[in-house]
Amino acid sequence: MTACFHCGEPIPAGVDLAARVGDASHAVCCHGCAAAAQWIAGLGLADYYRLRTEPAARPDEDAAFDAWDRPALQRMHVREHGGSEPGERRAEIVFVVDRLRCAACAWLIERALASLAGVAEVGVNAAARRVRLVFDPTVARLSDAMRLVARLGYAARPLEAAALDALRRDENRDALKRLIVAGLGTMQAMMYAVALYAGSFDGIDVATRDFFRWLGFLVATPVVAYGAQPFFRGSLREWRARRLSMDTPVAVAVALIYVASLVETIAGGREIYFDSVSMFVFFLLAARYVELRARHRAGDLVDALARLQPATAERIGDGGTETVGVHELVAGDRIRVAAGASVPADGTLASAACRVDESLVSGESTPRRRTTGDALIAGSLLLDGPVELIVRHVGADTVLAGIVRLVTRAATEKPHLARDADRRTRHFVVRVLVLTAATALAWLALDPSRAFDAALAVLVVSCPCAFALAVPTALTRAVAVLARRGVLVVDGDALEALARADVCVFDKTGTLTTPRIEPADVDAVRGDADRALGIAAALEHGSTHPLAQAFRAAAADLALPVASALRHVGGAGVEGVVDGTRYRLGHADFAGAADARDRLVLADDAGVVASFVVRERLRDDAADALAALAADGVALDIVSGDATNRVGDVARRLGIDNWTAQATPRDKLERIRALRGKGRIVAMVGDGINDAPVLAAADVAVALAGGAALAQAASGILLAGDRLDRLMPARRIAQQMRRTIRQNLTWSACYNLSVVPLAALGLIPPWLAAIGMSASSLVVVLNALRIGAEPAPRAADDIAQPVEAAS
Amino acid sequence: MNIILLLIPLSIVLLAAGVYALFWAIDHAQFDDLDTPALAPLTDDRRDPPP
Repeated sequence: MTACFHCGEPIPAGVDLAARVGDASHAVCCHGCAAAAQWIAGLGLADYYRLRTEPAARPDEDAAFDAWDRPALQRMHVREHGGSEPGERRAEIVFVVDRLRCAACAWLIERALASLAGVAEVGVNAAARRVRLVFDPTVARLSDAMRLVARLGYAARPLEAAALDALRRDENRDALKRLIVAGLGTMQAMMYAVALYAGSFDGIDVATRDFFRWLGFLVATPVVAYGAQPFFRGSLREWRARRLSMDTPVAVAVALIYVASLVETIAGGREIYFDSVSMFVFFLLAARYVELRARHRAGDLVDALARLQPATAERIGDGGTETVGVHELVAGDRIRVAAGASVPADGTLASAACRVDESLVSGESTPRRRTTGDALIAGSLLLDGPVELIVRHVGADTVLAGIVRLVTRAATEKPHLARDADRRTRHFVVRVLVLTAATALAWLALDPSRAFDAALAVLVVSCPCAFALAVPTALTRAVAVLARRGVLVVDGDALEALARADVCVFDKTGTLTTPRIEPADVDAVRGDADRALGIAAALEHGSTHPLAQAFRAAAADLALPVASALRHVGGAGVEGVVDGTRYRLGHADFAGAADARDRLVLADDAGVVASFVVRERLRDDAADALAALAADGVALDIVSGDATNRVGDVARRLGIDNWTAQATPRDKLERIRALRGKGRIVAMVGDGINDAPVLAAADVAVALAGGAALAQAASGILLAGDRLDRLMPARRIAQQMRRTIRQNLTWSACYNLSVVPLAALGLIPPWLAAIGMSASSLVVVLNALRIGAEPAPRAADDIAQPVEAAS
Repeated sequence: MNIILLLIPLSIVLLAAGVYALFWAIDHAQFDDLDTPALAPLTDDRRDPPP
């Protein structure tokens, strides 16, 4: 089985397509990929295939682009500037490209867009997945640019949160500037300190000594006044809110050391600490910067979810439906939404009933049932459909827009692991402050001249940073490592659950196997086989279920009739009207056929029209992935809605003893609940519409991304590129993360318990305390960086190799 | 030791210059995207690709 040259997916048997790129001919899996590859080569951009590190996305054919040219949509997203002369007008738009996967993608998009007539400037940022396009609106049309991006296999969306983007950029630049001031300042302060240390051993005249001290003051001042500003602001904020966290002891320590050094400098005292205070600030800022970067990356993920709101909508007018920009919708419009699609505007349901997943909006991922007149929220995913709804609120008035405004806060929201660590840090800080005061008082009573040094040493040496950094560094490192290996962590808590999971429940269709329907396998009872296949594909239009995709793929070359009044019944099938006849497609029981146990049946009111044999192929990576899980002590389980013999066959081939067939979504839910009731930690791996509530019920939900959009919204972990073999390495990383967190917490506890008493007794001079503090934070950070240090398994060809070494 | 009276102000001037240069770079978007530009030298520069 060869892989498609363009998208990297296996090429189905019987498909014999090739694309000429350069001088060679390459096999591809579908006409879309062939067109995309040939077109990329035709533009002279074949270098893309050499530069890329991830396979391309399969191109989408049927998106509507003309809506991008509508003035109402352009007003929202396009900013015009430049001269009024015809050749000088410039329009600028920033949009998000959804499937931008690597820097080569960025290069490809940039080159392709630049080749369009009228495009003046293109900037592509691979990390943020943003494209900035400046074009001459009199020459170039936006729809052409969008169509071009789509033909390359990417999905473009207008940027809703431009302001948020600017905020992030400024935050990043600000942090970087402070880091640079602190870093360079520290270097200089330490150089002057070396001169002073040398002087204190070999002798130094007072004038030179004071000269170096004032120099130290000169370079440490910007570090403290500018670099450490966030800590002072933070502690002030904490103080007003009557809370304590890491900022307060840091700010107190920085201010104390700085003022004490200044006093000593003026008075010509014994010791100054301008180098220590600079280093202290620099290390803290460095740790913060790492955290900030990780937070922004996580924020991009949150954004991607918040941008579920589609750019266009299907409006129902007098003369049928037309595709319009979402911003053209006004209250009172009637729109149509397909199953598996997201709702474009807030509105009330006009059709009879449907189920929606509002997890994005409410955080509650159980599907909600809505009947006529109920409110639907923009951005929620429709599970059954299509339905019609009456628009109530659009644009900035929608609930989703309110959520986008809250994304800034959502991005800072921490998983409970981190919240736990924060609470521990807070308690620790209180104890340290109390201990510092006690030390100062005790020494004042015994030996006032040593009171200040000892109190300072306690404050500095007791390192809340090591505590505070223990969890977030490990967590962010694990998330970053996994993201690089194609595993996206949506929810921080999911990682912990994945590491601890002892049962892994798989869905079958679309997860362990890929279904395929061959036109030759259609048994037409009445009428023509092609016609039956066409009707079936029409009924499955708009659904994201793997079987629906199989039907559409099988009928790709046929002219499809139009189906209306579609109704999806979870776990059973679909019902709808084609050319005035009501059809049902699904399992034999649902369609009303007595025999044909393991086939899908198309039936009308008069009985069976045709039956379809679904051929299934086990995923190439399924056996290895499951064997690795089993070797790690995870019990395996298959729960499927499919027929008994087929599920049993797959289970036998994979060596799984526990399996349930013909399960309705309710059965699946029961199975998961039963397992959890026995105290087991359940990981559910799935894909497709039937899985969403089941995924949500498990301790950790893993979805194969690239499948149904819905499963993505309901799961905590996404395996990008539909690859099951990434599950086990992800679990290893998660386990390593847990181990690291335990080590870090133990280390910082031991460190503090051993040095704080010494400092309180006045045995540690403040400079040594500063080194100890920095070193203990450094140990924590370096320990976290060990996560994922062993080389990742090669993404493309590791399937054939034995299970990855040692990790 | 009088040389330090020259060298130390010089080091401060260099420090200020370094900070200024880095601030300039940050404000001119040099650190906003660290991934994409890395590929630029690897690609052939073709201004007008065939249609």
